[in-house]
Amino acid sequence: MTTLTPTPPGTRARPALVLPAKPSSWRRLTATIVVTVIVIVAFWSVDITWARLGSLPGEIVRYLWLMFAAPNWDKIGEALLQTWRSVEMAWVGTVIGLVISLPLSFLAARGFAPAPARGVLRLLFSVIRAVPEIIIAIAILSVTGLTPLTGALALAVNSVGTLGKWGYEAIEGVDPGPIEAVRAAGGSTPEVIRWGVWPQAMPDFVSFWLYRFEINVRASSILGLIGVGGIGDMLTSYTQYREWSTVGMLLLVVVVVTMSIDAVSGALRRRITEGASVRELDR
Amino acid sequence: MTDLHDSAAAWVHPPAAAPWSIRMRDVSVRYPNGVVALKNVSLDIEAGEMVSVVGLSGSGKSSLIRTINGLVPISSGTLEVGGRHLETARGRELRQLRGEIGMIFQGFNLARRASVLNNVLVGRLAHTPTWRTLLGLYRADDKQIAYEALNSVGILAKAYDRASTLSGGQQQRVAIARALAQQPKLVLADEPVASLDPPTAHGVMRDLRRINQDLGITVLTNLHLLDLARTYGTRLIGLRAGEVVYDGPAATASDAVFETIYGRSIQHEDVLG
Amino acid sequence: MSTLAPLVLPPKPRGRWKPWLGLAVVLLITAVTLSPQWGIAFSFEAIVKNWQNGADKVLALLQPDWSFFPRTIPPLVETLQMAVIATFVGAVVSLPLSLWAARLTNPNRYTRGLLKTVLNAVRSIPDLLYASVLVAMVGVGALPGIIALVLFNVGIIVKMVSESIEVNDAGPLEAGRAAGGTQLQINRAIALTDAWPAFVNQTLYVLELNVRASTVLGLVGAGGLGLLIDAVRTFYRYDQLSLIILEILVVVVVIDTVSASIRKRLV
Repeated sequence: MTTLTPTPPGTRARPALVLPAKPSSWRRLTATIVVTVIVIVAFWSVDITWARLGSLPGEIVRYLWLMFAAPNWDKIGEALLQTWRSVEMAWVGTVIGLVISLPLSFLAARGFAPAPARGVLRLLFSVIRAVPEIIIAIAILSVTGLTPLTGALALAVNSVGTLGKWGYEAIEGVDPGPIEAVRAAGGSTPEVIRWGVWPQAMPDFVSFWLYRFEINVRASSILGLIGVGGIGDMLTSYTQYREWSTVGMLLLVVVVVTMSIDAVSGALRRRITEGASVRELDR
Repeated sequence: MTDLHDSAAAWVHPPAAAPWSIRMRDVSVRYPNGVVALKNVSLDIEAGEMVSVVGLSGSGKSSLIRTINGLVPISSGTLEVGGRHLETARGRELRQLRGEIGMIFQGFNLARRASVLNNVLVGRLAHTPTWRTLLGLYRADDKQIAYEALNSVGILAKAYDRASTLSGGQQQRVAIARALAQQPKLVLADEPVASLDPPTAHGVMRDLRRINQDLGITVLTNLHLLDLARTYGTRLIGLRAGEVVYDGPAATASDAVFETIYGRSIQHEDVLG
Repeated sequence: MSTLAPLVLPPKPRGRWKPWLGLAVVLLITAVTLSPQWGIAFSFEAIVKNWQNGADKVLALLQPDWSFFPRTIPPLVETLQMAVIATFVGAVVSLPLSLWAARLTNPNRYTRGLLKTVLNAVRSIPDLLYASVLVAMVGVGALPGIIALVLFNVGIIVKMVSESIEVNDAGPLEAGRAAGGTQLQINRAIALTDAWPAFVNQTLYVLELNVRASTVLGLVGAGGLGLLIDAVRTFYRYDQLSLIILEILVVVVVIDTVSASIRKRLV
């Protein structure tokens, strides 16, 4: 047992402690310096008159007041119609996207197609994902015209990029046991997919589709900005007319519709990935 | 099994100015889900005692220890700690009370990514202004207290290591140092050795005993192992279904006593060895 | 022994019609959305008709106009500036809000619920819509673009980081409470260190998103490459658009790669 060296309270006469050497943190220091420099350079070089920033909060509050103090509900009918247009674009884009991406994600997954095809598809997916959907819409609109169809096709192309990637990752992530079992029983590749892969990957796929639909709902409203129709189109117009109370109403519509769709889709996704609730299994 | 720090380090904390006593009268704890964890418990624990609280899991021993620093609110009854009423303490008063009570947990409860030193400095929170904590500017005095606390459990050398890189026994020592850094009047330990292997467990229990014997601090330890309770406690309190079923000296508590507390015969997992 | 008794099958589980019902609903909605009356009128005819005048323009996408390159540099730089500034401001604003939005670090159900509701609403409006409204408010330039990106970033970072705080161990925070710390002190001393990797991870992810998003914000006048995209599309200079798309691809891939390699090292 240790002998105590009780120090009388109040005195500072304590034995000197041997402190360990402080570890050098050059890595953290370098990272801090690099980030700081990049941020400072960006702030310093960007073309913004920072003096304006002082009046900005006041301005924004004023506009928020104009928009939301008394939203103008006169145009609600047309707003809902245009919202339906946007949601349609999102739906069609998602459906076309999933129909195309489903076979492609199998071809891009290890074990279902030759390596070169895999590489090409994966490159294609990542190229598509790098390009914003609005640019895809601009690129194809000279062929498809300024119609909601253009919007839907742009969303479909973009959906192929994300759904394809998530898809092959999910396929490669399934337990190989059932696949081997089907192969061992003499199953062909389609049979392997149907009985070895699909039962495992199906919940993931359905949940990816729903999630991509949520993304497409948001994206469809911005496609209106280039004139393909939908709520974004209407919002740009009224912003340009500076009819703020109508803009406020339109933003509220976007928020409510998007949040409702997210809520429904999110609930479905949870249901699918977690399975039915116990109470329901009891019945 | 001797611990390095037992022979090397000296206790440099001044003995607790006046260790605290605990006075419980008819304390009941009922959780929002309806479970009654404690039923009309009345206890007197004198300043400077070393008490082992024994019971099966679900007996209410964890709730008992957590009511003493207000982590679990009591539903009825009165609880005085160090002469102050805990059942009515709120906000600042409650935090100051907690600041005087060190607590050691089964799972160590260290911030895994923070350094050992910063974990020990958590023990100084009640004595540090919020702005200092926000800026991470601890007073030199507080740091000195933390170093000494680490030194007294023999792991000062690890002060700058990340907590998660330490072994279980070392992590529990950091947790003890955190409690010591509070310069506590009372130390509560909730199953402090349940996650440790036997030699390490004895090391940690010896640390707790030294806190009691050398510093004079009141120590209350939850245990489920009867040999540890006998060896390291001077007083034994047995809990079953939220009620005190035994209260007496620890060293002479027979196996029959433990069988009463557990409500079943002694099994080999009830002993650490 | 060999006479086969008829097998007694257990009753088939009910509810097997559910996936089929789902499929039927999906097909029905798709049919409605494609119909000319209520839907977006999917017709190959229109495409065939447009093909004649549009095809050569689309083909121009395959022949980038390299001479256009110098003019794309200043807007490209502005795009990156906007992305960096927005990421920085967004991250600084998000850090305290993330702690505010998580149950472990803010036990008050009402303030937490309020913040989450506001952020859900903020998240449901896409960045380009913010930008188009903000341009009308504060004028053309990088500023409305940055504000739009910050709004977009705060929504994402706070959601992801507060969710990651929720799954962190509550024990260390309880230790801080037992030592008499205030919630603010506990958050700073304990929760913050444990949430830091998630925070840095999300910030880098948001930087990737910002680089992508800021390339198009200019379409509504909010600065960056988008301004140029808007100009070339008005004149159907798809050879120039092609070069811009290539540049976006390169920048996005470079930023993604750098960010991914940093994130991988983060433990």
